[in-house]
Amino acid sequence: MAVMSQYQPPVKDIAFLLEHVVGYPDIAALPGFEHADLDTVVGILEECGDFMAKVVAPTNRAGDEEGARWQPDGSVVTPTGFKEAYQQYVDAGWGSVPLPEEFGGGGFPRTIGLIIQEMMMSANMAFSLCPLLTQGAIEALLHYGNDELKQRYLPKMVTGEWAGTMNLTEPQAGSDVGALTTKAVPRGDGTYAISGQKIYITFGDHDLSEQIVHLVLARTPGAPEGTRGISCFIVPKFLVNQDGSLGDRNPVHTVSIEHKMGIHGSPTCVLSYEEATGYLIGEENKGMRIMFVMMNSARLSVGTQGLAVAELAYQQSLEYAKERRQGRAIGATEDSPIIDFPDVRRMLMTQKASIAALRALMLLNASYVDHSLHEPDEDARKRADEIVGLLTPICKSFGTDLGNELTSLALQIHGGMGYIEETGVAQHVRDVRIAAIYEGTNGIQAADLVGRKLGVRGGASVREFLATMREVDGQLADAGEQFASMRAELKTQLDALEQATMWIFQNGMSDPNAALAGSSPYLRMWGLCTGAWLLARAALAGQATGDPEVAETQLVLARFFAEQILPQCSGLLPAVTAGARDLFALDASQL
Amino acid sequence: MRIVVLVKQVPDTSDVRKLDLNTGLLDRDAGEPIVDEINERGLEAALRYKDDNKGTEVVVLSMGPENAIKSIRKALSMGADSGVHIVDDSLAGADALVTSLAISKALERTGYDLVVAGNESTDGNGGIVPAMISERLGIPLLGFLVNMEITEAQVSGERQGDDGTANVHAGLPAIVTVTERFDYARFPNFKGIMTAKRKPVDTVTLAELGVDAAEVSSLDRTEVISAVERPARTAGTKIDDDGTAAATLVEYLATNRLV
Amino acid sequence: MSHVLVLVEISHRGHIADSARGLLALAARLGDPVAVVATREPLADDVVAKLGSLGAAQVYQGRSDAAGTALVAPQVEALAAAVAALSPAAVLVSHSYDGREAAARLAVRTGSGVLVDAVNVRAEDGRIIANGSIWGGNYLVDSATTGMPVITVRPGAVDESAPQASAQVTAESVTVDAATAGVIDSYNDAPEVSERPSLLGAKKVVSGGRGFGSKENFALVEQLADALGAAVGASRAAVDAGYSPQTTQVGQTGVSVSPDLYVALGISGAIQHRAGMQTAKTIVAINKDADAPIFEVADFGIVGDVFTIVPQLVEAIKARSA
Ligand SMILES: Cc1cc2nc3c(=O)[nH]c(=O)nc-3n(C[C@H](O)[C@H](O)[C@H](O)COP(=O)(O)OP(=O)(O)OC[C@H]3O[C@@H](n4cnc5c(N)ncnc54)[C@H](O)[C@@H]3O)c2cc1C
Ligand SMILES: Cc1cc2nc3c(=O)[nH]c(=O)nc-3n(C[C@H](O)[C@H](O)[C@H](O)COP(=O)(O)OP(=O)(O)OC[C@H]3O[C@@H](n4cnc5c(N)ncnc54)[C@H](O)[C@@H]3O)c2cc1C
Repeated sequence: MAVMSQYQPPVKDIAFLLEHVVGYPDIAALPGFEHADLDTVVGILEECGDFMAKVVAPTNRAGDEEGARWQPDGSVVTPTGFKEAYQQYVDAGWGSVPLPEEFGGGGFPRTIGLIIQEMMMSANMAFSLCPLLTQGAIEALLHYGNDELKQRYLPKMVTGEWAGTMNLTEPQAGSDVGALTTKAVPRGDGTYAISGQKIYITFGDHDLSEQIVHLVLARTPGAPEGTRGISCFIVPKFLVNQDGSLGDRNPVHTVSIEHKMGIHGSPTCVLSYEEATGYLIGEENKGMRIMFVMMNSARLSVGTQGLAVAELAYQQSLEYAKERRQGRAIGATEDSPIIDFPDVRRMLMTQKASIAALRALMLLNASYVDHSLHEPDEDARKRADEIVGLLTPICKSFGTDLGNELTSLALQIHGGMGYIEETGVAQHVRDVRIAAIYEGTNGIQAADLVGRKLGVRGGASVREFLATMREVDGQLADAGEQFASMRAELKTQLDALEQATMWIFQNGMSDPNAALAGSSPYLRMWGLCTGAWLLARAALAGQATGDPEVAETQLVLARFFAEQILPQCSGLLPAVTAGARDLFALDASQL
Repeated sequence: MRIVVLVKQVPDTSDVRKLDLNTGLLDRDAGEPIVDEINERGLEAALRYKDDNKGTEVVVLSMGPENAIKSIRKALSMGADSGVHIVDDSLAGADALVTSLAISKALERTGYDLVVAGNESTDGNGGIVPAMISERLGIPLLGFLVNMEITEAQVSGERQGDDGTANVHAGLPAIVTVTERFDYARFPNFKGIMTAKRKPVDTVTLAELGVDAAEVSSLDRTEVISAVERPARTAGTKIDDDGTAAATLVEYLATNRLV
Repeated sequence: MSHVLVLVEISHRGHIADSARGLLALAARLGDPVAVVATREPLADDVVAKLGSLGAAQVYQGRSDAAGTALVAPQVEALAAAVAALSPAAVLVSHSYDGREAAARLAVRTGSGVLVDAVNVRAEDGRIIANGSIWGGNYLVDSATTGMPVITVRPGAVDESAPQASAQVTAESVTVDAATAGVIDSYNDAPEVSERPSLLGAKKVVSGGRGFGSKENFALVEQLADALGAAVGASRAAVDAGYSPQTTQVGQTGVSVSPDLYVALGISGAIQHRAGMQTAKTIVAINKDADAPIFEVADFGIVGDVFTIVPQLVEAIKARSA
């Protein structure tokens, strides 16, 4: 078989998690989701997976090899096959599934939208960014746009006929969005003249759609400093006429595109706004609030990129491990496929178990998003929203950190071939690397967890969640001997996580630097514990299905993760509780 | 206009297919069941006509086990309006005579102006059922079309032949079979999948179709007497071209008296 | 001995189809071969003589004004009339475009079972048994029917010829119900291709795939075929791309060939392609991808570029024969 393997959508694994682990049937029972029962959803995911594998995945290599190209006339051309695939994607309507029916969407839960994203990101991460950013712009409009803007822009953005972008970053304003300087001057007719330079704008220009709707953060004259003075605007590439047709070109120019380590198919643009016409979304100076709404959603999607690319790389490395023969495994009488070597097995199992944990975690977060929006009871909505707030930085960071680690393992399995570009696995390592950086670097996520999320309701919110995780203990105790080691390990590690949490509660207020110093290892402790907890639940559920094969697979994955990966958690405790002393003991000149 | 598209669920040809050596029948578990690709092309042709001609009704008809409903749903999600599913335990292993009888009865019951079938299925490779249906229904067959034009009153197209093609036509009602020169089918879209759930599927048994056991047993039967599996081929020599490979190959051919 | 009917297809230009020889040979093994034809005009003497030389002791001519304009129906009527008149032990028809449609329609008339795509037939214990090679030759299956079988025979599968006979013609007029038949308006004959052997039953086949990249480049396949005296085949991808006509497609949904030599050039060897050629005696493959599945079935494989190697091959073969 050829070295390059095709993407196989893991719809069976996903369906299992939906039904047995993240409580999808409860979501389908929420008002408004009558049409989204599990059977329907699985049917849709099968077709969607087929589409991603057959239409989108074949564009992945060309996308990497050719890359998006900037033309001297300022336009941007996407790699071979992207345009056709995008058109088919629009025709198939996959982007519209989780969006409101009012604007032509399918009215499905966010959970389902995230799975569609996962499969698209596995098929071609660079390509998937166009719909992903469009979704961000749609959400801003949906929640804060006035009716006129909604009617004018949403229907075509929901279908994907019009794409969207997110313009936050400027040369001096990256992690610190508050430092941005792009100006928005009111013209007196309700519109604003937008001027300034934005950098790193994903799909800032391209040839996939006739129209691009930029969501731009800018400052109005006299706005307060920092994040409190930021407003949010829609700036279309082409002005839209009264009848909905496209009018004049708005002066937003693509100055250049970046040469990047990965996601070559995704044009990363420097955009120059030269008194371009913009339309305010919501109120002046309330731009950050809009960003916060979108942030949870976008961060969960980016966390899922780590999972998605790891899945693709895993599939490829598994294929290779079965075919590559080299040396003899213990007891073998002829050359062995490398999958017979214990160390190769370790790399495969680490990938498989971690991917299973990540997927459960992403879907759990998404399901709480759905509860937070659709539970009839307000308290239930609020609680779900808190959990989303807690899980989001964990999903984003842990998902993308593992994305880097797991793709690297997949490459390692290929030996020297892995380092050769032709093999194709190196692309995954390069592609996924950005996910830990954009949409709030992983460091910023850790700071968010420690600085914002732990303090919710004076720490009660986090404690309640920890208590929920502890509930699995009783079920594991009842499940018998096979679950004993997993149960013991989970208990030990949840104790460590609680200890770390207590330390931050006790020291964070008095010495914020000390708490921030350990924030990244602390976030990882969370990732490890939530992952192991969800896999334990999956193992219990697997047993309950009565299907021996499912029961065995789930048990082994959960046990492997609990026994061999989860113990890292307590190993991180010292780093969390060490404080900042040694981090700052050497001054910059000594570093 | 009502176009009935015949759809057969077959094991994916990309998987290795197995013959049950005891019964001589296809082991339907060996290979993911899918809509035969040629039928998807036929459906696409019907749907294109429907796209351009409002008021066209496209019905998919499948004879097959319970799970063939999956293939019918898939066709509905691609845009067909309704389905007919002939399911009957006694049809397991049915040969072409019986199959064509059941399908013809179902077609009479459903009504049709045009029937679109594949030139041959990938699991039987017979390519005889559509002609049998044309005979049973007394309607013209345009088989092995490489293209097709449908109008209110007739269907026409180019028919593949041994040494070229022929331009052929027939008045409706008629049955046609399409070849691989027809386009690949569209992917089901999300809206289509959602609406497919509400589209009617008429599930019928042989008795409901009025096929009586006596008629079936009066037909000659085909039976498998024996089946043997051929040993798999193994790979021989493989060399990298270093500039002399052509010469080495010619030597090899000469030694084996192939040049 | 009982009669065995053979449907002899006669092209609109009056040529007897190549399949007639093999069909009559098989029929001669089973009984007295009768050639059944459907034509509009009386049969020309040379056609009758040719049928005799191919082994037909009897020619049953169904005469119909619709022959040549009604699709397949005249053959069906001729066969049905012959069956009624001669009560044969079996009817053999080519598994060709027209042949299998005629076979199918006849079978409905007579209530007979059809055994499709046979590569061989034999009589055993008073039964006629058809041998088929299915799924790319992975299985060899013997089958039979309970009554008189209608058997379609894979074109090119039969090598032998029947002993010569001198043919007696019986002509009957038959009527075609115009309402039940398609109408042939005109023919688009494929351009006559040189002396190149037909793919069906060819001893050597050279096939090209998507690897050639264009119709112009595909000429290399023809050059090698001509140098070897081989027929030209193609993968579905090559046919889809228009490099080669539909009739050259080898595989699952194309032609199945079993030549002495099969050369696959720039063909990956998908399972569906292999289904049409893996029973060849010797398989040679040239592909620049060392992992291409075609190498799994190749007796001699070269990992390399067809654009470099094929011209060298053509030269070397020409040099040998010179
Ligand atoms: C390929 C690509 C696509 C992108 N797409 C978009 C897009 O579509 N739209 C858009 O607006 N932007 C986009 N970005 C920009 C991206 O979001 C920023 O690069 C990211 O937010 C980091 O900002 P920065 O590059 O200025 O790094 P910096 O902010 O300079 O960060 C450098 C390092 O310092 C750390 N750091 C900074 N501040 C803190 C702090 N307070 N606490 C702890 N650590 C800190 C960071 O974690 C990081 O490790 C994209 C970037 C890339 C490379
Ligand atoms: C229901 C069904 C039925 C089918 N029936 C058939 C059938 O009957 N027949 C059939 O063939 N296929 C059939 N297929 C299609 C089959 O699956 C493959 O898609 C097809 O065979 C591929 O054709 P290919 O090998 O020419 O193209 P590809 O798979 O694209 O392979 C091209 C090959 O050329 C090689 N190559 C490229 N350039 C060069 C060069 N310069 N030198 C050397 N090598 C080069 C490449 O390495 C590659 O291996 C069927 C598929 C389905 C689903």
